[in-house]
Amino acid sequence: MNRKKRVRRMMILTMLLAMSIVFHMLEPSLPLPIPGVKLGLANILGLIALYMFGWREMLSINFGRVLIASLLRGIIFGTGFWLSLSGVALSSLTVIILKKFTPLSAIGLSVASATFHNVGQILAIVVIWSSIMMVYWLPVMIWMSIPTGILTGTLAVAVLKRISKGGSP
Amino acid sequence: MNKADKTFIAIVAVLSILLYGSLQYVVRATTSNQKIAVVSYRDEEVLRIDMSRNDKYTVQGTLGEVLIEVKDNRIRVEKETSPLHICSIQGWIEYANVPITCLPNHVVIVIINAVNEHGEDTTVQ
Repeated sequence: MNRKKRVRRMMILTMLLAMSIVFHMLEPSLPLPIPGVKLGLANILGLIALYMFGWREMLSINFGRVLIASLLRGIIFGTGFWLSLSGVALSSLTVIILKKFTPLSAIGLSVASATFHNVGQILAIVVIWSSIMMVYWLPVMIWMSIPTGILTGTLAVAVLKRISKGGSP
Repeated sequence: MNKADKTFIAIVAVLSILLYGSLQYVVRATTSNQKIAVVSYRDEEVLRIDMSRNDKYTVQGTLGEVLIEVKDNRIRVEKETSPLHICSIQGWIEYANVPITCLPNHVVIVIINAVNEHGEDTTVQ
């Protein structure tokens, strides 16, 4: 990879990371009718990185987002941080495995990502509060991750289409 | 959305319904008629509530007072100070072990069975 391409790639990744941090930080203020449900808009940027570059770049966007957003909010190493981190870790791992071994499109991967983000978060709550019954909320969260996953996946597909029309990065 | 996506979404939906059904069965089967609600603040028990008496209680949370209401063997957080009000929106709970969690206030409410609490259903020989 020549120098120009390397700089271009780094710049795009930095912009994706910046946008995902903004989504991550703004999202809790979006009013949604069901408590505890988030759209997962920041996930779009991870998916874009996955399709534009690869799984390593997606991991750096996702983990970078959680780390920097938590640092900016001042909640790093607090409960919320561990919840985000475990959600992101499990969802990223699932997406990487499913992308490699199944024919799922970005929409299916997005639903999987949303679902396993919730599973990761609930597992973290179970460990932090040593209360297995937190699992009680998991089916509801999983149900909600289907429409939100389809929404973020569709948005990611739309963005990727426009990027490919405008020339490869 | 391709065929694999649809199949995957259907599997996720069916699995979550099955999980919901089995969890509902478990919580109903493990709840007795005599219930006690345990209120904890930062993992320490601060209040024990008899669920058979309709009443209102107040505990101090991190962001302010958390107002708890008991009515007809059910319990809810009536009012609290938090950014998203998740625990008050959650509404009434009536089964054992299903928690109400006020994360910003570090308050957790969980119902336990009074019978198990005193070990009345076990006989030591």
